[in-house]
Amino acid sequence: MTGKALEVRSLTKKIKNKVIVDHVSFEVEKGEIFGLLGPNGAGKTTIIRMIVSLIGRTEGSVHVNGHNLDGEFKESMSEIGAIVENPEFYKYLSGYKNLLHYANMARQKITKERIEEVVRLVGLEKAVHQKVRTYSLGMRQRLGVAQALLHNPSILILDEPTNGLDPQGIREFRDYLRSLTKEGISVIVSSHLLSEMQLMCDRFAIIEHGKLIHVSSIDTLKEADRAAQNVVFEVSDSDQAIHLLMEHKLGAEAVKSGNGQFTVSVDKETIAAVNQLLVTNQIKVYGIQLVTATLEDRFLELTGKGRKEEEASVLSS
Amino acid sequence: MFYLVKNEMMKLFGKKANWIYILILIIAVAIGGMVQQKLGGEPSQNWREKTQAEVTQLQKDLEAAPDEEKEWIAQEIQKKQQYLDENIDPNAASNWHFMNGTVIGMGTLVTLFAVIVASASVSSEFADGTIKQLLIRPHQRWVILLSKYLSVLIYSLMLLAVLIASGYIVGTLLFGSGDFNARFVEITLEGEKIAVVGTQFLLKVLYYIPSLLVVLTIAFMLSTLFKSQALAVGVGIFVLFLSSTLGGIMILLTEKYTWTKFLIFPHLDLTVYALQENILQDVTLPVSLATLAVYYIVFLLITFAFFQKRDISI
Repeated sequence: MTGKALEVRSLTKKIKNKVIVDHVSFEVEKGEIFGLLGPNGAGKTTIIRMIVSLIGRTEGSVHVNGHNLDGEFKESMSEIGAIVENPEFYKYLSGYKNLLHYANMARQKITKERIEEVVRLVGLEKAVHQKVRTYSLGMRQRLGVAQALLHNPSILILDEPTNGLDPQGIREFRDYLRSLTKEGISVIVSSHLLSEMQLMCDRFAIIEHGKLIHVSSIDTLKEADRAAQNVVFEVSDSDQAIHLLMEHKLGAEAVKSGNGQFTVSVDKETIAAVNQLLVTNQIKVYGIQLVTATLEDRFLELTGKGRKEEEASVLSS
Repeated sequence: MFYLVKNEMMKLFGKKANWIYILILIIAVAIGGMVQQKLGGEPSQNWREKTQAEVTQLQKDLEAAPDEEKEWIAQEIQKKQQYLDENIDPNAASNWHFMNGTVIGMGTLVTLFAVIVASASVSSEFADGTIKQLLIRPHQRWVILLSKYLSVLIYSLMLLAVLIASGYIVGTLLFGSGDFNARFVEITLEGEKIAVVGTQFLLKVLYYIPSLLVVLTIAFMLSTLFKSQALAVGVGIFVLFLSSTLGGIMILLTEKYTWTKFLIFPHLDLTVYALQENILQDVTLPVSLATLAVYYIVFLLITFAFFQKRDISI
């Protein structure tokens, strides 16, 4: 139990016999940014809402920093700071009063200095005494982060945090999350945007149809890609080149792709070997280009597989 | 808990509308006072002579009147004679008379505003989406709900206090400070009754409070059941008007169906007991209070049980 910021065990949600979330388990390390990735309606939000106890669990357990959410509700919730979807505030109150409101609800005493510190942290000093009604979406987002951080939680849970932020805002947000983790705070973010996850997270889980179908760190994914990458060669005679490659059993299935180009799946060392082979056989090499398999491809591959498996199980049942 | 209630009060008074209700209440009392001053009879020093003269005149009329009017005139004579016998000026006006009559009548406004505020209490958090941020705090749900309920209760009692205070001030300004122990004639369904004006006023306030409590609890329950603020407030006000209309009808129905006396509606206006001993023959104040108490507990149980279990998925 120690060392884990969050432990989720076989989390399940059924509504009228319809399974929304199906035995999802994962762990989040301290100081880690963990992503929940999946298309809309996959059950990410339901998972998050079960963790923050907005909705009941049909099955499963949640431990926050070693506290069981069932037995030690107050202790668990004290460790959590969250924004669930768009941060909503009491629009008729000022930003400061909104923060005061949440500060009053914390278990420990939150001083005025702490509120001011958090306000400075998110850069809302100028607007904090204005009514929230006048805030832009970006400002509300920042106020949302402020209320989530007020009570020094050990884990920050953000549901679709970058919804409605402009690219500049997203970038700042990302850098900000990164700086938080340096202080030992763990972060869970959910998103349906893969590119965002790629930039933001240390590890992420892919959720599809309420099931967790893959947990992986982005780094290992990249490593795996490095093992065998698609490489495009531009040469003077592609037919002869493909013939040569087959003869020397270099790479797998070289495919001609027109205009004197061919694509072959090889690892790093083999690229050099192929190049040498071609040059020694008087084939001019004009260009060698890596086709990086993007996470997007992997994502589609994985979720596509998930779907097929589910269809198969439906057929067999 | 103290801080949670404080939070709720901050939100309550952060809304302009909740200040406006208080203002409307004060204005209504002032207008009521002025209307009563204009329409009410003039109290005068020699009311005894005037009333005596009226009685004499009526007695003359009685002889000449046709048979069907005789009974009515006889009643009038009896009434006026009673004023003389008891030494009560029928036109007497004072701050206490004003409060016992007009100000108590405006309790309806307090109920109305209390219903609006109570039915918006939880549903507005749903409508604004703030409920999500409210319930992810280290407090049990029922504690948060209780803080909301208490804040609505405090606000409603404040409205009542404002009504009484402004009634006293307006009454004193317009009618002068009167004797708390002055006797007066209260008109009831069963005829007239002589009572002490100040005591009668306090009695009515006392009888008003349980009804207010139950009605605002119904509104608060609706507020947790409906996610839409408009729906909750609308249904809340509908129930309020229904209860005042149905109360009368129900009393008629009980003659035929005895079970209808256990419905909530005949019991919602307890101020009747300030005028008479019982609503129906066997329905007295303890019966009404017990019935209300049972409903009150059931409503609270429904409210808290439902809220505790509810999935917040907006």
